[in-house]
Amino acid sequence: MFYIAILVSVMTGVSIVLARTINANLAKTIGLFSGTFFNFITGLLTSLIFIFFSKESLNMTNLDFSSVPIWAYLGGLVGVIVIVLSNHITPKISAFYLTLLIFIGQLFVGIIIDYFTLGELSIGKIFGGILVLFGLTYNLLLDKKKAV
Amino acid sequence: MNNLISAFIGALISIMTMLNGTLANKLGNYTANTLIHTVGLFSIIIVLFMRKSKVKFDKSLPIYLYSAGVIGVFTVLFTNLSFAVLGVSIPLALGLLGQSVTSIVIDHFGLLDMQPIKFEKRKFIGLTFIVIGICVMIIF
Repeated sequence: MFYIAILVSVMTGVSIVLARTINANLAKTIGLFSGTFFNFITGLLTSLIFIFFSKESLNMTNLDFSSVPIWAYLGGLVGVIVIVLSNHITPKISAFYLTLLIFIGQLFVGIIIDYFTLGELSIGKIFGGILVLFGLTYNLLLDKKKAV
Repeated sequence: MNNLISAFIGALISIMTMLNGTLANKLGNYTANTLIHTVGLFSIIIVLFMRKSKVKFDKSLPIYLYSAGVIGVFTVLFTNLSFAVLGVSIPLALGLLGQSVTSIVIDHFGLLDMQPIKFEKRKFIGLTFIVIGICVMIIF
């Protein structure tokens, strides 16, 4: 399961870039918010198809929806806030700083969440994260130089 | 201020990963995915309503441009699966590696109607640091 999760995590990155590139091309014509609307429509239809063919549809009636804290249902809302904020900030800051700052925010809050959910504050994660940040910065600088 | 907002966007993404992952752990990955997309759909309808903008649809566009939502389902499924095993920060670093390599491939071959940008060998230096960083995060 460990190695599958590693592979799946990398595939997450692949899917993010594919969706982001396609979305940017769509938004050029119909705008970001209309594009996002269609994203959620097609996404919801696909999710329903998945659920229909999965075992989960059989257990649907046994699910205890009230056992889940209410905040856990708000991920979709947070996702839309991320889209609105990104749309607001993109013209005001260089892509270089935007990418780096988003990653820094993700990494440090991620480490804090891991501390509370997995119960470990690992120096390795902080140090490793800084190395990842260094590699990201280096490659973004190469892009930046070319764009000028 | 702009810097703060940018970092805050990153913080929100990590919080979202935790929220979605918690929902998937409790209700199952596919049920959670459906609920996440339902809440997201309602949220974007509210945003469209507040901005008084109408939903635009352009029939002349190739159908694949509307397919990103389908890919997004896999993003959520993959993220929830990795959250259950690895938490937030390690999948984040691995995802960044996936993003970097995919961007390089799309740029190099000019896929998805993008301007081709040839691969620069020096980018191996950055990728190497990312991989070493991931190993440090996982091992220590």
